Amino acid sequence: MHTLRNTLVWLRSDGRHFQIIAQISFLCYGVLLLGWDADWKNYLAIFSGVIVAQGLAIRFAGFPMDSLKSALITGLGLSLLMKANDPWLFLFAALLAIGMKFLTKVNGKHLWNPANFGIVAAAFLSGDAWISPGQWGSSALIIFIVGTAGLAVLSNIKRLETGLAFLITFAALEYIRTVLYLGWEHDVFLLKLTNGSLWLFSFFMITDPMTTPNHRKLRIGWAMIVGAISFYLANFYFVNGAPFWTLFFLTPFTPLLDRLSPRITSFMWKNESTTKKHIQHQSI
Amino acid sequence: MKNTLTTLAIAAALLICQHALAFCGFYVAKADASLFNNKSEVIMVRNGTRNVITMSSDFKGDLSEFAMVVPVPTVLAEKDIRVVERRIFDVLNAYSAPRLVNYYDNNPCGYDMRLYEDSYSMAVPAMAKEELVSKKLTTVKGVHIEAQYDIDEYNIIILSAKESDGLQIWLEANGYKVPETARQVLEPYVRSNMKFFLVKVNLDKVQNRNSEYLRPIQIRFDHAKFMLPLRLGMANSNGSQDMIVYALTTEGRVECTNYRTVKMPTDRNIPLYVEPKFGDFYKSLFEKSYKQEGRNAVFLEYAWNVSPYTAVKCDPCVGPPPVNYDFVEAGADWITQGNFHQTIFFTRLHVRYSRDKFPSDLQFQVTPNNENFQCRYVMTYPASGDDFTCDAGQEYLVDLYNRRKKEVDELAALTGWSSANGSAYIREYNKHLNPRMRENSRNEGIPATIAQRTYRPWIVVSIIFLAITTPALISRKSTKIFHAKIQP
Repeated sequence: MHTLRNTLVWLRSDGRHFQIIAQISFLCYGVLLLGWDADWKNYLAIFSGVIVAQGLAIRFAGFPMDSLKSALITGLGLSLLMKANDPWLFLFAALLAIGMKFLTKVNGKHLWNPANFGIVAAAFLSGDAWISPGQWGSSALIIFIVGTAGLAVLSNIKRLETGLAFLITFAALEYIRTVLYLGWEHDVFLLKLTNGSLWLFSFFMITDPMTTPNHRKLRIGWAMIVGAISFYLANFYFVNGAPFWTLFFLTPFTPLLDRLSPRITSFMWKNESTTKKHIQHQSI
Repeated sequence: MKNTLTTLAIAAALLICQHALAFCGFYVAKADASLFNNKSEVIMVRNGTRNVITMSSDFKGDLSEFAMVVPVPTVLAEKDIRVVERRIFDVLNAYSAPRLVNYYDNNPCGYDMRLYEDSYSMAVPAMAKEELVSKKLTTVKGVHIEAQYDIDEYNIIILSAKESDGLQIWLEANGYKVPETARQVLEPYVRSNMKFFLVKVNLDKVQNRNSEYLRPIQIRFDHAKFMLPLRLGMANSNGSQDMIVYALTTEGRVECTNYRTVKMPTDRNIPLYVEPKFGDFYKSLFEKSYKQEGRNAVFLEYAWNVSPYTAVKCDPCVGPPPVNYDFVEAGADWITQGNFHQTIFFTRLHVRYSRDKFPSDLQFQVTPNNENFQCRYVMTYPASGDDFTCDAGQEYLVDLYNRRKKEVDELAALTGWSSANGSAYIREYNKHLNPRMRENSRNEGIPATIAQRTYRPWIVVSIIFLAITTPALISRKSTKIFHAKIQP
């Protein structure tokens, strides 16, 4: 009982723990139940890439050991979203994703979400990488799983509002256009909204505290803008995976928004109060 | 061999004829003829934002009653509409169809030296009959005739409409009977600013009135949208409809972006007795996969780089590979004379759709994915001759017994067919086993395993990897130890 309690406290001490668990579950779901093309070489390339890059940063740039958790999240994000013809491209994307974090550091944060940057950069630079927005299909089950797991992550790291602001804006605009304006039935709207990629994006990518504004209101406004632009690109320019592209172009504005609210300090992954409790439990 | 081929061809023809055809527009008949359109074929060519769509239908009924409405994103010029020969569909279909491949074992006791393979495709589609009524068009406010062309045997009108009610009135006033289900979706297309491409047959110009086939119509337009408007096609069909999409791109595979694109099971070993009913086999296999994937997936049946510069067009080929002329006819006009360095990637998708599972039109994307894929089912013939007395021969018979056991189980897993008929097949060669081996094989016969989802070694690798690294790396102790080491 004591061990279980300790484990829970430890799990809650860092928002990334739930995130890693959730992402691993999604990967298993995709590969085992949805039958994705899963080449172990690709995954090996991704994970060795992120771990080696992060390892170098720990060794030579004095990053804390637990930043490996972030690297693991980036690796899982790439595994869940990115498709490419060649394992080398996965390695390339992984190294770029982690490398970017150190090269574009502003006030302890970075300009892009690493997985998002890795995918977009690999797709742009090589032309041989892509994302498959249709790979999740749309079953109610996946929403439930993604949603609850996402909530667990976010309620812990207090970034729930970012994902919700994005998703609600996107859904509201879609509803206005698809159902109210064009006159499609509700299930056409639901099909668009039950896309697993959209949910994954809402709760596991746009919520990255390292690339969202520090101030709560700014963060909500920013997420709503991402939602509105994604909707616009998807519906009027027929861009596939619009949210991913939008995020790529909007996260670099975060440092500017942070300047508007200099009094709020940057996000820290570790939840200090629970960490202290954890230590107390250990000492008892 | 010729007999076998004929049998297969008949089986294949029967399979396909049980379906009737469907479309991405709706057929509108003037009489309440029961028009079924349960299977259609579309060639979709995409190069940048340039689209060429060729539509083939198997309209069955009086040609005077044939009328078709397809939503298109732009007003098409006369030069952008062509009538092409049905042959192009046959070529693409025969070439990319799921295939049955035969292999022959060698007799290990040294008598039979056959070592070759051959293969058949299952293919073949169907078509229509004719007659025409022409009359003056009634005008309706808010509905504008953007263009009107006579192209070969077809009368074509392109309409734009401000509102769906007006469009419906126009269609009905001009003799198009709009099915109830199509009525509901006219509005979203009108609101999306789509134009309506109306087709009727001009019987005076029908070249071969006895022809079974209504020739396919090919349209070209430049638009970022890469989709097929399924919803109108759901108009007058009962239950589910099948559509085969042959996509040609400059880059790689085409995949669906709003539904899952799933590979059909492939490279499976199946028993020899399936050969005469290969058509039925594939039909059951498709049915089972379709249900298994929740009835709302798009299935990949073929994907191949068929560029002029590639040497291997198929492995094995079930039909003659399409030549450059065929691709150009299909709309892949970037392959022109002397320009053989361009890429053409061929994707064949099979979708079985119904209103409840496919509420939205199919949307696609071209991906750089250039991995080849084909639906291939393997039959392996046993070694010929009666003499299996040598040791290797006896071992071969034991292997054969086990192999056949697996084949029968595989068949049951793939199609849901009962494996009851398989027992005689499994034991067929046991008579050549000497009594001692027969006893052993009975005891040691490896239980047949069904490799429905193939073993994925990476899962094991990554799970072990994550299981070991995650807790170790993130524990506070290891952090301290590591930092103590690097920062003495």
